[in-house]
Amino acid sequence: MPGGSTPQKFDVIVVGAGPAGSAAAYLLAKKGFKVLVIERGRGAGSKELYGGRVYAAPLREVWPELDKEAPIHRWVRKERISVVNGETVATIEYTASKPVSFTAYLPELAGWMAKKAEEAGALLVDEVRVDEIIVENGKIVGVRSGDDRVYADVVIDAEGANRLLLEKLGMVERASPENLAVGVKEVIKIGGKNIEERFGLEPGEGLAWVLVGVTSGAPGGGFIYTFKDTVSLGVVVHLRGAIKAIESGAFTDHVYKLVEGLRIHPYFRKLWADGDIVEYGAHLTIEGGLSFMPKKLVAPGFVIIGDAAGLLLNTGYTIRGVDFAVYSGKLAAEAVEEAFNKGGPTEENLKVYEEKLRDSFVYKELVKHRGIEKVMKDPDFFTKYPAMLTLTLGKLFEGEYEEPTILEALLSSAREAGVPLLSSLLKLLWVVRRL
Amino acid sequence: MNGEAKAGGQEVKMMKLDDLLQRNVYDVDEEPHIVVDYSKCDKCPTKPCVYLCPAGCYTLVGGRILFSYEGCVECGTCRVICPMDAITWNFPKSGRGIYFRFT
Ligand SMILES: Cc1cc2nc3c(=O)[nH]c(=O)nc-3n(C[C@H](O)[C@H](O)[C@H](O)COP(=O)(O)OP(=O)(O)OC[C@H]3O[C@@H](n4cnc5c(N)ncnc54)[C@H](O)[C@@H]3O)c2cc1C
Ligand code: SF4
Ligand code: SF4
Repeated sequence: MPGGSTPQKFDVIVVGAGPAGSAAAYLLAKKGFKVLVIERGRGAGSKELYGGRVYAAPLREVWPELDKEAPIHRWVRKERISVVNGETVATIEYTASKPVSFTAYLPELAGWMAKKAEEAGALLVDEVRVDEIIVENGKIVGVRSGDDRVYADVVIDAEGANRLLLEKLGMVERASPENLAVGVKEVIKIGGKNIEERFGLEPGEGLAWVLVGVTSGAPGGGFIYTFKDTVSLGVVVHLRGAIKAIESGAFTDHVYKLVEGLRIHPYFRKLWADGDIVEYGAHLTIEGGLSFMPKKLVAPGFVIIGDAAGLLLNTGYTIRGVDFAVYSGKLAAEAVEEAFNKGGPTEENLKVYEEKLRDSFVYKELVKHRGIEKVMKDPDFFTKYPAMLTLTLGKLFEGEYEEPTILEALLSSAREAGVPLLSSLLKLLWVVRRL
Repeated sequence: MNGEAKAGGQEVKMMKLDDLLQRNVYDVDEEPHIVVDYSKCDKCPTKPCVYLCPAGCYTLVGGRILFSYEGCVECGTCRVICPMDAITWNFPKSGRGIYFRFT
């Protein structure tokens, strides 16, 4: 905690130096506010783990210098989606005309964002865990870490998806496996030239790859991203779905074996052959942003942004968390400034943050894609349907003498995969209408 | 194919979880940041933590849960999935614990 010559009262305290917190701190410091950012990790970014790809445009609104300065690894030109069923794999590949997203290590990127906030004048204090948000007379007035207290007119909560502070404050319910998933990943170093050769990329170009059918019957999926000289591979597993799969006996192995299974899978392993595993880790992520969103995003002297506010979209083929977090930080900074100009950060004055958010692409996207939540939690989409697709393709391509018609292949594959055709068609129709 | 077979130099065998965790950088605190009430575990029917803790911190020894916090990657999964409210969970203090670099 700052002591001595540093004032113990700030205009704004930001809890968490992730993308959301650093964006808000940067913009407010630039406007001349006295900002303190508190981060539990050793340096900003050291507790960060995600998949690998960030959409650039929302970040450029905060940092126009992003493309030149940020620790960008590769611009994503290629997208792949694969359905995996045992050793069989069906893949779609798309090559974009112009890349709009890049890969980066989140520890590096968050470190860069925090440095930007510091350069703009924010004070970053790391290795400090905030234990509580202090409420006095119905107003949020500061934070406590151990016996230290620091005060501010506004506290911005950017603590991420594991919301210990908001739970303690009573602003959200206890974390439930219904709305959360765990992502587990490995990072393998294979060298830049190998990446370009094995993934068919030009220097500086990257690939983002989504996998279905790699989570042992639990709802979820896999991912592969390319970085400068490493590849990361991992799985995301919906927690309620995983608990159900354990109870029903479908999920009998340790979750790390899903990632290892992917690493040694005969189709994929050639891609990182001879590589060195340099890191292994896991992090929680949100499944169904709107149902994870707190009822209120502001309180007197208080604003919630980023993952803590449930602002993450996972459509299954893309995951947008970092850009949503940064954008919510930007809106919060604008709202805090307006509230100060209107006389102070009362709840009434801070409500403009909720309005700005509702009018922004972030909230509109979450509403537009809300149907996907049902898909993401339905085990059939991760077991039976992928199996049906690969079985159908198998029948079409692996007939040594005779080939079935497409309809014959579909019908017999549906039977083998245990898919009841009529109810599945209705389910698929329902989903397609909402996608 | 036997277990030692290689594919393009890559071992076809799964690694041990402990060997994966060895690749990480930690500054482990002397005090555990997570405390488990084992008496509740004895009554827990499915023990999902044994399958879902990515760092394998929860193991079954002679039918009973044993928890060790050293390899913890601070994901929070165990806190969310425990059906018996057996876990007192916090982040490590003072920057201790996992230190991610390439994630
Ligand atoms: C497996 C996985 C894959 C993902 N893939 C992608 C992807 O490819 N693209 C994408 O855009 N998004 C992805 N996301 C989502 C993305 O990581 C998040 O949406 C984003 O990091 C949210 O930013 P944030 O600033 O709100 O929270 P976080 O990034 O979680 O930052 C919170 C910060 O607060 C700190 N903190 C927390 N509590 C305290 C406390 N009490 N005291 C002090 N400090 C505290 C933490 O240490 C951390 O630094 C993925 C997430 C996961 C888990
Ligand atoms: S889930 Fe909770 S109660 Fe059950 S074994 Fe694990 S820690 Fe114990
Ligand atoms: S926080 Fe994550 S890694 Fe740590 S013990 Fe719990 S489940 Fe395991």
